[in-house]
Amino acid sequence: MRQTRALALIVLLLALAAPLAAVAQEAYPSRPITLVAPFPPGGVADLTARPVAAALEKVLKNPIGVVNKTGAAGAVGMQFVATSKPDGYTLLLALSSISIIPEADKIFDRPPAFTVDQFVPIALISADPTILVVPADKPWKTAKDFIEDAKKRPGQISYSSSGIYGTLHMAMELLSHAAGIKLRHIPTPGAGPALTAILGGHVDALASGPAVVLPHIKSGKLRALAGWGDKRVAALPGVPTFKELGYPDAEFYIWAGVFAPKGTPEPILAKLREALKAAVAEPDFKAAMDKLETPIAFKQGADFQKFFDADARRLADGVRKVGRVEDKK
Amino acid sequence: MVETLGNLAAGFSVALSPPILFYAFVGCLIGTLVGVLPGVGPLAGISLLLPATFGLDATRAIVMLAGIYYGAMYGGSTTSILMRIPGEAASVMTCIDGYAMARKGRGGAALSIAAVGSYIAGTVSIVGLMLLAPPLAAFALRFGPPEYTALYVLGLLVLAYMSSGSMLKSLAMAALGLLLGMIGIDQMTGYFRYAYGVVELGDGLGVVPVAVGLFGIAEILATAGQPTPPTVIKPKLRELLPSRQEWREANWPIWRGTVLGFFIGILPGSAHIISSFVSYAVEKRVSRRPEEFGHGAVAGVAGPESANNSATSGAMVPMLALGVPSGPIPAVMLAAIMVHGVAPGPLLIQQQPALFWGFIASMYVGNVMLLILNLPLVGLFVNILRVPYPYLYPAILVFATLGVYAVNNSVVDVWIMLATGLLGWVLRKLDFETAPIVLGVVLAPMIELSLRQSLAMSDGHYAIFLQRPIAATLLAVGAVLVLLNLYTFARRGLDWRSRLALAEKGEEA
Repeated sequence: MRQTRALALIVLLLALAAPLAAVAQEAYPSRPITLVAPFPPGGVADLTARPVAAALEKVLKNPIGVVNKTGAAGAVGMQFVATSKPDGYTLLLALSSISIIPEADKIFDRPPAFTVDQFVPIALISADPTILVVPADKPWKTAKDFIEDAKKRPGQISYSSSGIYGTLHMAMELLSHAAGIKLRHIPTPGAGPALTAILGGHVDALASGPAVVLPHIKSGKLRALAGWGDKRVAALPGVPTFKELGYPDAEFYIWAGVFAPKGTPEPILAKLREALKAAVAEPDFKAAMDKLETPIAFKQGADFQKFFDADARRLADGVRKVGRVEDKK
Repeated sequence: MVETLGNLAAGFSVALSPPILFYAFVGCLIGTLVGVLPGVGPLAGISLLLPATFGLDATRAIVMLAGIYYGAMYGGSTTSILMRIPGEAASVMTCIDGYAMARKGRGGAALSIAAVGSYIAGTVSIVGLMLLAPPLAAFALRFGPPEYTALYVLGLLVLAYMSSGSMLKSLAMAALGLLLGMIGIDQMTGYFRYAYGVVELGDGLGVVPVAVGLFGIAEILATAGQPTPPTVIKPKLRELLPSRQEWREANWPIWRGTVLGFFIGILPGSAHIISSFVSYAVEKRVSRRPEEFGHGAVAGVAGPESANNSATSGAMVPMLALGVPSGPIPAVMLAAIMVHGVAPGPLLIQQQPALFWGFIASMYVGNVMLLILNLPLVGLFVNILRVPYPYLYPAILVFATLGVYAVNNSVVDVWIMLATGLLGWVLRKLDFETAPIVLGVVLAPMIELSLRQSLAMSDGHYAIFLQRPIAATLLAVGAVLVLLNLYTFARRGLDWRSRLALAEKGEEA
């Protein structure tokens, strides 16, 4: 009797444990997660990835490492994640360029390094509108002055950018088309050299993230004319947006978001979404983003998808309007 | 001046506080290590350690990262001199005469000269950084695309002085380097050139895998192909220190390298690499016995090693005075202080005096530390030469592969290293020198971009190079150099290079 009861108990325990064991096997995460930043350490992607990884690590109680897979303006790292196993252990921290690169590949008729639909968007972390700055010794006091002058002298006013089809180039292109002006583009190999070019007076204008140019606006070297955001930049309340000035199509953000390879199982995605939501609420994360002067703009699910789609459409348009540079003359 | 001294005193009180001293030491130690390991250079070292600095305050973080930067310049010479493998890209020139010295049993002397030269360059250039940062940074900003184009053209003229053998062969190698430098995304149009669908080739051939391949791997292959194994050098203790004669020969090159390196370092780009090339060329040009270069000339070690160290201080001028990066390494360092809420920019020196002056003072301290650290290590490192080749070379191959992989986490870089290694071996068999290839790979993308940027600025008018005073001056200097050479050429017919080449042919026959 006692034996049968013991046996029954064991059977019952086993029956109960079986699904538990199955769940334990699938429990996510059970090993370190890699967050790929497709740009070198010290850039926006890297500096956003680090605090995201740290906060996510706390929430998931699981180690998360940031790996910089750099090259070809981010295409190397993005291709790496696009083709890695969709098991939730390889994630991507991408910037706006994720929508630009495949479009540029199309323009050159080359096999794309990756396509946007190889990724599932999980969450938007930050979105910083670019602002238009000019050297303080230039005559333009407002965006209106600038645009009017550009209309009078098409192709004469120059601007530097972080590279052809780069984020800072696209921002200017969107403005050029919205305002019907033509500017002269001087590409440089990155946001740093683009800033150096305007500080040295070698170009007349630059679209840039606010944090980078604020110290130079404060020191009186540069003047901010307008912003590409939906709202004014908090640190520059006196600077209007292009939207206010009547150019609603000139909307552009340097944003950072977390993506997973397509095919990642829904339960894992759900868990990641939940964890990221908790992660951005961490005080340490907020403090870190504050120091970088990057506003947190958390969006996920349908909200992020909508933002991402609209942004991708604008950028694809922008790339197509630029077209192949050597074809135009 | 009194104010500067007061500030510096305050800086030293920061720099000599135990925690800052500790982080400076850690930085210098790691820097020496990444410098010694083939392939891994300061950029990889700083990138790997950047996350670790997020927990420190801004001053400690930047002191440690700077320690890695200039520490790597000390360590980089070690493998170059002992094994002809550049520890990092700026030590390519040291491979040539440093290794030749080591084969003559003067390896210890070469290492000591490199360490002392680095110390002098490091210390003197900080004085420049401290006193001249704001005006120099303003001057550096006046260098736009046309000025760079002129400067790089001048740099190319310098190529002609780099070889010790035939000028024609040296120019052919430079041309090959320039062609290899064309691989990658066209910066002006976004077109992928010679990438054959390999996305990793979009950024072109990295200078690290090319340098390690052409020098290190080629050397290993060449040694393995010899019928008799090379004799293992057993350095004696009294041979470790340079002789008085060697010190005398090193003296002026160190000072010239220091000044050159500092001013080249201020200009954005891969300054520390270029400064070592220019210094080598200058030393060869001013030397009374240029034929010694390539065969163990002391000046060929002292000059470039001093220049690359002094360029690190130069690179910090625009970074600290204006908050603009002058290259990838200062860019990472800027990020490190931004993470701590310190906005880099023209107001940094006024708003963060403790950070700026503490940093400056810590560099003085760090250079002393590195000298104390590196001189005894000479005795240790030289013993690597005692290891028999069958053990030494496989180990080096492993380290070189790991180092090259670590820079970008890229297997493609490892393949580039192997391919250029094979190329380097073939070229050595055919008596070509490979250093001009490295300079070509470094310079090609820069020349191309700045030339096309200039033409974009001027809407296609070449006059832009003559309308801007700095660019016009640089081009005039280049023209004078060419004319002077034509003059000597016309008068003497043969210069020492052809005489040397003839002499060598005579020996072989």
